[in-house]
Amino acid sequence: MKPIMLHGHERSITQIKYNLEGDLIFTCAKDSQPNVWYSINGERLGSYRGHNGAVWCIDVNWDTTQVLSGSADNTCRLWDCETGKELANLETRTAVRSCGFSYSGRTLMYTTDKTMGQPCEIHIYDVRDSTQVSNLSPAMVIPSESSKITAAIWGPYEEYIITGHENGEICQFDAKTGEKLITVKEHNKPINDIQASKNMSMVISASKDFSAKLFDTATLRHMKTYKTDRPVNSAAISPVMDHVVLGGGQEAMDVTTTSTRIGKFDAKFFHLVFEEEFGRVKGHFGPINSVAFHPDGKSYSSGGEDGYVRVHTFDPEYFDFRFEY
Amino acid sequence: MAADKGDQGSRKSKRSESSVENHIIGSDEEEEEPDFSDPEDFVDDIKEEELLGDLLKQRPKETDGIDNVVVVDNVPVVGPDRVPKLQNVIKKIFEKFGKIVTEHYPMEDGKTKGYIFLEYTSPIHAQEAVLNTNGYKLDKTHTFAVNLLSDFDKYENVPDEWEPPAPKPYHDVGNLRYWLLDPDCIDQYSVIYESGEKTAIMQNCIYLNSVREPVVIEERPRWTETYVRWSPRGNYLATFHQKGIALWGGERFDQIMRYSHPGVQLIDFSPCERYLVTFSPLPEKSEEPQAIIIWDLRTGHKKRGFHCETTTQATWPIFKWSQDGEFFARHTTDTLSVYETSTFRLLENKSLRISAIKDFSWCPSDNIIAYWVPEQENVPARVTLIQIPSRKEICVRNLFNVADCRMHWQKNGDYLCVKVDRYSKAKKMEDKDALKYSGIYYNFELFRIREKQIPVDKVECKENVLAFAWEPNGHKFAYIHGESPRISVSFYNIRPGGKVEQMKVLERRSANHLFWSPMGQFVVLAGLRNMNGVLEFVDSADMTVMAQTEHFMATDVEWDPTGRYVATGVSWWGHKVDNAYWIWSFQGRLLSKQPMERFCQLLWRPRPPSVLTPDEIKEIKKNLKKYSQRFEAQDRLRQSTVSTELIQKRRQLIEEYEKFKSEREEEFHLFKPRRLALRNGIDTDDLGNRADEEYEEEIVEFLLKVEETLIDDE
Repeated sequence: MKPIMLHGHERSITQIKYNLEGDLIFTCAKDSQPNVWYSINGERLGSYRGHNGAVWCIDVNWDTTQVLSGSADNTCRLWDCETGKELANLETRTAVRSCGFSYSGRTLMYTTDKTMGQPCEIHIYDVRDSTQVSNLSPAMVIPSESSKITAAIWGPYEEYIITGHENGEICQFDAKTGEKLITVKEHNKPINDIQASKNMSMVISASKDFSAKLFDTATLRHMKTYKTDRPVNSAAISPVMDHVVLGGGQEAMDVTTTSTRIGKFDAKFFHLVFEEEFGRVKGHFGPINSVAFHPDGKSYSSGGEDGYVRVHTFDPEYFDFRFEY
Repeated sequence: MAADKGDQGSRKSKRSESSVENHIIGSDEEEEEPDFSDPEDFVDDIKEEELLGDLLKQRPKETDGIDNVVVVDNVPVVGPDRVPKLQNVIKKIFEKFGKIVTEHYPMEDGKTKGYIFLEYTSPIHAQEAVLNTNGYKLDKTHTFAVNLLSDFDKYENVPDEWEPPAPKPYHDVGNLRYWLLDPDCIDQYSVIYESGEKTAIMQNCIYLNSVREPVVIEERPRWTETYVRWSPRGNYLATFHQKGIALWGGERFDQIMRYSHPGVQLIDFSPCERYLVTFSPLPEKSEEPQAIIIWDLRTGHKKRGFHCETTTQATWPIFKWSQDGEFFARHTTDTLSVYETSTFRLLENKSLRISAIKDFSWCPSDNIIAYWVPEQENVPARVTLIQIPSRKEICVRNLFNVADCRMHWQKNGDYLCVKVDRYSKAKKMEDKDALKYSGIYYNFELFRIREKQIPVDKVECKENVLAFAWEPNGHKFAYIHGESPRISVSFYNIRPGGKVEQMKVLERRSANHLFWSPMGQFVVLAGLRNMNGVLEFVDSADMTVMAQTEHFMATDVEWDPTGRYVATGVSWWGHKVDNAYWIWSFQGRLLSKQPMERFCQLLWRPRPPSVLTPDEIKEIKKNLKKYSQRFEAQDRLRQSTVSTELIQKRRQLIEEYEKFKSEREEEFHLFKPRRLALRNGIDTDDLGNRADEEYEEEIVEFLLKVEETLIDDE
């Protein structure tokens, strides 16, 4: 499988996402322009221009009409997916670390950094209520007292938000009341990424502590651990196979002290149930910052510190491979 | 009031009390001026002790000076004519410890009685004299017995009846060698990780043909404050603490002994595991030397303390042990001091005077010391082998133009190699006494210890020598030489006749260390630290390179004691990322990678020497085929059990997971209406999956460009 290289960013990729149909890939990087690409051939469809800083996170709603991006320029912006027009500019006091549309796309949330004396908060807006957006009065503000939120996604059916924290905790916050429902601490280093399975029954967390862990979404019961020898920056669950993919690598500051030959920047495939690594995909020459499966599970993409997004299509053997049991 | 003893005293005190009472009553009744003068018939019967008892107590007593006096027995009996000579000798010996105030030589029939009394100015000096001269051997027939005079009281009071001392309750530490009973001869190793927070003893469960995770036998947080050490035969594990050393052993790794030595930094075991040497750099507080302490390992008694003269030596171990633990030795600038463990005194009470001795080492199999002295005043440098305790020189080798020497013994003591750094020019440095050498080249002087008169061979090397090592049980040696990047490794063999032949030179290697397997034959060439951890496994029997590989940034290489495995590690002490240890087979096949958070140190547990005789070993080697069949069968069995176990485990996991999955699927179906409601009644559940089936092919035609080409009408 020869990967398609998407080279449109000037700086390291921070997040990549497919839309529901999987025909488009949305990418954001430390340069200020999120991009959208055709997943089938890697052609760039367009950019969303307006941010003045590194864009940390991106999301697209289910019917691919709106795009949400959060940036270090202290804004979270809502875009018209097709035209690239800025629909709303949600100003914040600190950098936006993660953002997401709810299942229906009617509400959106983003989390802010704990810097410059400002607390880390989750903000929830109702997109349908234009006064909320124009007056910057979110429907809900949930402060996170304990530790900074480094990753966040909506739970199923818009009931709660699952957050990963700098201290390794994973929490559920009720989206209506702001109450902290569950806290688990299975990681001991920052959580870099949280992604849900296709039916949202499970979530996978990627942490700097060299491991990714699988949780039951509803109860946050720890189910599986995938161990590597590198910080894990991103992890995704295959929608069709019992597989997970982990991307990561040594931080840029340590790269010169490690060997490139050993392939520390590989994307690693684990069996979801057996926690065993069965494959690696190399290619990036820097740590992988984000991985995502195509919704049909036949390809996946990875975005790295090297500024490239690589779209890999699986060989037929990948689907034939079976663990003996 | 002084408390008096005896009946008389108590009577007196009663009387005095009553007199006081009387006086008080008198004062109450009549208020006229008291008359202090004694009545005429008054007899002063109050003793001085009563009035000044407390002062009298401080009055000097006859016995007060006793503490300063020592009694020396076994002094030679001499006539009056030789007394002054004797006095001189005695003074010389005893004035080292302080000024002698008086000396007394009792005489009988014109001869001295064989014992003398010496008085010092203070009891401290006397005590020191006793400590240092008791047992002093003046000559063959006279060994001093020195005691404090005040001790005579103590010894007089010793009861005549001997009472057997209560036997110390036997403390059963279990079988210290239980790990050798393992049917598969599995080796153990200690691992320190989390930057020293945690120490674990692991069991290596890696077989050459089936790999399993190592089993943790014991893990304790903060077991040691710095690092750990195994005793040379593997029975004990020593841990370092601020207050001293603790030894652990047995199946549960219970504490066996503690040795209190504040600030201890370095330790060394005697090869027989009977003594432990500890070193602490803390300034010594008391008079007693305690920079270096030698302990009896089993009883925990301090055998002797030593000062540490840091100026002469900087390399540990300062004390080097003979192979049987009978002797230990150290050297200072001009002496070589050999001590006996039977008395913990200098062998024959004398150090060997060897002017400018630079270094020495014990033969690992016999009580032979090899030492070398540098060139001085037209006397060439020389390497000398002496026998202990006879001090007989058995071999002397003169060498010229020597800059430095390094001695390497082969493990069996069959050979000694002295690596001689020689120079072609020497220049005196202007400011210092030190010489600056130029044109350095190298020589290996090979001593064949087992042969008559110890013949010496020479191998020359023009290049810089980075490392040298003997094959532990064999006749080969190898060294690394050259300058980076042109580094070569040379292998030599010593033929039975004594011919030294070059076997092979491996050129252009990146290696700075070489490690022979403890069983010989196999060598690991390693480029540690700045050479990025390049590893090469060489079989020296036919000089084939079995594997060329790498453990990136490896800092350590450790052969297991059986020579079956090699562990390489990236220690947190040397490199901050990728801390892990990897285990390889002796052929260089990577068996297992064990990443560990801030891994620091891995040490294999040593094994005691084999109890088999050389003949028995030969016999086993002869019948190796028979044994290997059995072990191969075992390996196959193990492999199949591993795979069946694995499959069983997988099956169980998948069952659990399927159960969970079906529960969630069911829920998912139940909530379908909710999903529909949220997305305006559009069913998106299968959208992604169906994506390619629903492709509608659409043909869009558009004009690319128009080109006009003229075609000739020809």
